[in-house]
Amino acid sequence: MVNLIRNENMKLYRRWRTWVMVGFMIAAVLVGSFVEWYYDSSDASWRNDVIEQQQDMQAVLSDPELDPESQVYYKDQLAIIDYRLTHDIRPEPGTMWDGINGSASLFILITLFTVIVAGDSLAGEFTAGTIKLLLIRPASRLKILISKYLSMILFGFGLLIILFVVSVLVNGLLYQFKAIDLPLLTVNGEGVVVEKSMVANLWQTYLLNGVSTIIFVTMAFMISSAFRSSAMAIGISIFSLFAGTIVLELLQRYEWSKYLLFANLDLSQYLSGRPYQDGMTLSFSVIVLALYFILFNLVSWLVFTRRDVAA
Amino acid sequence: MANEPIVSLRQVTKRVGRKTLIDNLTFEVPQGEIFGFLGPNGAGKTTTIRMMVGLMAISEGEIRIKGKNIKTEFEQAIRHVGAIVENPEMYKFLTGYQNLIHFARMVPGVTKERIDEVIALVKLEDRIHDKVRKYSLGMRQRLGVAQALLHRPSLLILDEPTNGLDPAGIRELRDYLRHLTRTEGITVIVSSHLLSEMELMCDSVAILMHGKLVDVKPIGDFIGGNEQAQTYLIEATPAEQALGEIKAIVGVQGVEMTDEGLLVTAVRDQIPAILAHLMRQDIQIYGVRAVRQSLEDRFLQITGGEQVG
Ligand SMILES: Nc1ncnc2c1ncn2[C@@H]1O[C@H](COP(=O)(O)OP(=O)(O)OP(=O)(O)O)[C@@H](O)[C@H]1O
Ligand SMILES: [Mg+2]
Repeated sequence: MVNLIRNENMKLYRRWRTWVMVGFMIAAVLVGSFVEWYYDSSDASWRNDVIEQQQDMQAVLSDPELDPESQVYYKDQLAIIDYRLTHDIRPEPGTMWDGINGSASLFILITLFTVIVAGDSLAGEFTAGTIKLLLIRPASRLKILISKYLSMILFGFGLLIILFVVSVLVNGLLYQFKAIDLPLLTVNGEGVVVEKSMVANLWQTYLLNGVSTIIFVTMAFMISSAFRSSAMAIGISIFSLFAGTIVLELLQRYEWSKYLLFANLDLSQYLSGRPYQDGMTLSFSVIVLALYFILFNLVSWLVFTRRDVAA
Repeated sequence: MANEPIVSLRQVTKRVGRKTLIDNLTFEVPQGEIFGFLGPNGAGKTTTIRMMVGLMAISEGEIRIKGKNIKTEFEQAIRHVGAIVENPEMYKFLTGYQNLIHFARMVPGVTKERIDEVIALVKLEDRIHDKVRKYSLGMRQRLGVAQALLHRPSLLILDEPTNGLDPAGIRELRDYLRHLTRTEGITVIVSSHLLSEMELMCDSVAILMHGKLVDVKPIGDFIGGNEQAQTYLIEATPAEQALGEIKAIVGVQGVEMTDEGLLVTAVRDQIPAILAHLMRQDIQIYGVRAVRQSLEDRFLQITGGEQVG
């Protein structure tokens, strides 16, 4: 199994295509961070900005017609501002963390690249005909499938490490690593402000995004093994990656749409407390995702291990 | 056991949809032979090979390699097999050497020395560190043979191995396959369109047509022995008269007039009687010789000259 994964890695990293993706990833983080830094107007006098914000929010809150949901939101924000002022904890803008958190949105590139590589990993062997030489060895088709899958996950994880390291380094350098130990302030269920680790929060964001990456990779694999066409696997997966949210908006009024894959992919909807449809919970989404995950893998496995290889 | 067949097919049938690609094939490949698969385009040679190496499911019947069922004991059965199925497609973006490393890793026990040994065997030392993208067809074929030999298989299956090789390469391959069977006891199965090639290379051949087995025999039997009718060229004058006389002889299977003489198809034992009969009729005989029928002629005869099945 280890040897099979080494083989997959060799085939992946001996292609310039892979390194173009890595280079693009690094460049995107560098450029994104630099642009954000360049237009960052906030300075050391964050107190004035925060006090100004405080006054604005108090004004909004004094409106008696404000709906209860917004009331809670503004109250929480004000609690955080109070905490900042009393404990001398500045907000993220103007520190390295703003850039680092912003770079996390480049996670979509990881999904994109991993899906491209995954779509080609299996289907490409069929197109090139190398699948024949791969399958006439004493290694079961299941093992080969798993080794490919794992090497894709490793690739995605590698890109994630690059994203993390490069964004921390470049933003750290741009902001001279000031406020590196800045905590993240949030309001817990009881309305009390708590300090959280910025890095832990960042990885939480990464992980939530990682869930959808894994699902898309699994989907690309399934299409690869069913249709044996890289173009189809990559095309359909990427199309759904981008079209998914649009479709969701159109279907939001139907209750059954909550069972759609895309309605559950973004688990951060539960962090912000605004799920796609009322009544959806984190465990509901996790179960739905798990079912799709199992279904996709089952299809890949059944099709790949049973179908004739006529390439 | 030397006599135990290395491969046995029992009533192997392959159906795709309603089409029967392979129909009830039963035969055995003896150990240590070079065994040929012969048949016109679309006869089912590649399909049979695909089933032998587990790339295609067998609809009915079973295939055993070294006694192991390819379907139920795939890993034990395939361990003994090295193969090229159709074209030797390798990873183009890797070097020849990296390709070999790749396949070496998939079977336990292939050392670096073995890889170098195989490279030397197929004479690719000079180009092995080039990307396969830059290889010629013949070089790819050699690399294909190299990957098939890496794990010292007992059965080597080569689907049209001479495709793309130059005459020197074909000769080398032939000598090499001979060497493998003689010294290492490897069994080789080759399929080929070059029928004359098979004649030089194989010990036995199986002829396939429309997915059916037409015949399996040692190569000598195809070319013709004592009991089998062969073609003889008889130069005699007057030819017209000779033609009529020969036609009348019981047991002669065919006679035909050509520029060179009369082509007579008959069993060897009959030749003296034919000649004696002609001489009694005062026909002058200038020469008699056996026309060695090539496998190609025989093949065309069997398949009725049909080229695409
Ligand atoms: N996957 C498939 N589905 C349907 N028919 C197929 C499939 N693969 C092959 N065939 C058919 O099976 C027959 C045998 O094909 P095969 O490739 O085994 O022939 P072959 O003897 O190797 O021919 P060639 O000498 O041209 O290589 C052909 O008629 C072909 O069209
Ligand atoms: Mg063929």
